[in-house]
Amino acid sequence: MNFKVLFSTMKVQMKQSFARPMFRFCLLVNPVVNTILLYEMYRNSGSDNFMAYVVLGAGLMALWGCICFSSAGDINRERYSGTLALIYAAPAGFPAIILGKIIGNTLMSLVTLCISLITAVVLFRVPLHLENPLLFLVALLSAIVTFITISSVIACLLTLSRKTELYMNCLEIPIILLCGFVFPVSVLPNAVQFASRLLSPTYAVELLRMSVNGCEDPALFREKLLMLFLLTLIYAVLSAFLYKKIDRRVRIAATLEVS
Amino acid sequence: MKNTVINVEELKREYVKRGFFGKTKKVVKAVDGISFNVEQGEIFGLLGQNGAGKTTTIKMLTTLLAPTSGTCEVLGYKTFGEEKKIRSRINFIFGGEMGVYRRLSARDNLRYFSNLYLIPEKVQKERIESILKLVDLADRADDLAETYSKGMIQRLQIARGLINDPEILFMDEPTVGLDPVGARMLRDIIKNLKADGRTVLLTTHNLAEVEELCDRLVIINKGKVIAKGTPSEIKGHEATLEDAYVKLVQEVTA
Repeated sequence: MNFKVLFSTMKVQMKQSFARPMFRFCLLVNPVVNTILLYEMYRNSGSDNFMAYVVLGAGLMALWGCICFSSAGDINRERYSGTLALIYAAPAGFPAIILGKIIGNTLMSLVTLCISLITAVVLFRVPLHLENPLLFLVALLSAIVTFITISSVIACLLTLSRKTELYMNCLEIPIILLCGFVFPVSVLPNAVQFASRLLSPTYAVELLRMSVNGCEDPALFREKLLMLFLLTLIYAVLSAFLYKKIDRRVRIAATLEVS
Repeated sequence: MKNTVINVEELKREYVKRGFFGKTKKVVKAVDGISFNVEQGEIFGLLGQNGAGKTTTIKMLTTLLAPTSGTCEVLGYKTFGEEKKIRSRINFIFGGEMGVYRRLSARDNLRYFSNLYLIPEKVQKERIESILKLVDLADRADDLAETYSKGMIQRLQIARGLINDPEILFMDEPTVGLDPVGARMLRDIIKNLKADGRTVLLTTHNLAEVEELCDRLVIINKGKVIAKGTPSEIKGHEATLEDAYVKLVQEVTA
C-alpha cells in the first residue's frame, strides 16, 4: 500500500466532495434537520439523555448518507467524467485509490456528529451526557474503521454495475433501520434482527450508545467489540477478494465507462 | 533491428446484450479478427468510420477491456493477464472534454496523476512545469479546470497523458474540438514524441493529419481490417488520402 497515493487521494477527494453542493447539504444541513426531527420524536419519550438517540442517531444518519451518496456515488461520477478508466488503469492500483477516497469521505463526514451535537445544544439546550469518554473514543474509532470497510465492499460491487444511483438509494434507509441508528434493534422482529446482527454498524452503534449511557457491563462491551472486529475483518477479506474478482470482471463486462 | 511494441493478431471483441429477463441474447462483434503490429518509434494510425471498432481496439490495448479472443500484446506483454507490466509504461488520451477532474486546477490534476503513476516527488515538480508550458497552460495552471474552455481541457488531457513520460501513447481522436492552433500544437507534440523514440497510436477522422503524421496505418470497417500500409501506399493513384479512404469504405459497404 502506497501511503502517498492514499493521502493524495484523500486530499483530492475531500476537495472534490466539498465542492459539490449536494455533498455540502448532506454534510452540513442533513444533521441539523435530522437532529430537529429526532428531538421532536424523543422529547416525550421519558429518556433524559438525548445524546444516545438524538445526537448520535442524527449524526450517524447523516454520516451514513454522506458515505452512501459519496463513497458509492463517486464511482458513478468518475464513470461519467471519464476518470474511472484512468484511475482503474493507474499503476498505483485501483483498491488503494478507492480506499483513499473512502477514508477521505468518511473522515470528512464525521463533521455530521459534531453538527448534531451543536444543534442539540444550541437549539434545544437539552441534557447531554457522555458517561465514558474513553470507551466512546474506542467505539468511535471502531465505527470509523467498520464504515470504511463496509463502504469499500459497496464501492467495489458498484464498479461492476452502471445502475449505481439506484443501488445507493436502496442502501441508505435500510441500513439506518437495520442497524438501529435511531432505535434499539431489539424492537425489530426476530427475523430482521438476525439480518441486523450480520451488519457490523449494528455493533458500532450499540457500543457508542453503551459508552454514552455508561457501560455497566464491561464484558458485554468487550463481546460486542469483538463481534464488531470479527465482522469488520470478514468485510475486509471479502473486499480484498472482490477487488481481485472485479479486476477481471469489469474488463469483461465493459462497465468502466459509459459508452 | 525493428522492435515490435504492439502486436495484434486475429483480435476479437464481442459485446453480449441481454433482453429484460435475460432470455434474449444479442452478440455485437465490435472487433472481428483484426491483425496489425506497430514498431517502436512509429506514429501509427487506426482509421475507420464511427462504430468501426477503433475505440474498442484502443481500450483493449490500454488494458481497459478484455479481448474475446486473439492476441493483444503491448511491449511484449498480454494486455489481459499481464497488465501490471504495461500500465506504468503507457498512457492514453481519449478525445473530448472527459478525463480530468474539473474541480481541481490543472496543476492539482497533474500532481494527483503523478502520484497515481508513482512518479518520485523530485521528478514530479520539474516535469509538471515543463508539461504545463508544453501545452500552453502555465498561465492558468492554478485555475480550476471547470473554468477552462473546451480546448484548454483537451490540452490538460494531453498533459495528463504525458505525465509518466510514456513509451507508447494511445490517442483516440485527440484533436476533436481543438482550434487550429491547439491542433497544430498537438501535432508538434506528437512529432516531438516520435523524435524522442516514443510510439504513438492515433485514431482520427482528419486524414490530412494522418498524411502529415502517420508512418503506417490500418483502416478498419465493421470490426475488420480493410486496408493497411503507409499513407502513400493506401493513397495509391487517388489524388488525396481522403479520396482513397472514401473509395475503400464505399467498396466494402456497397
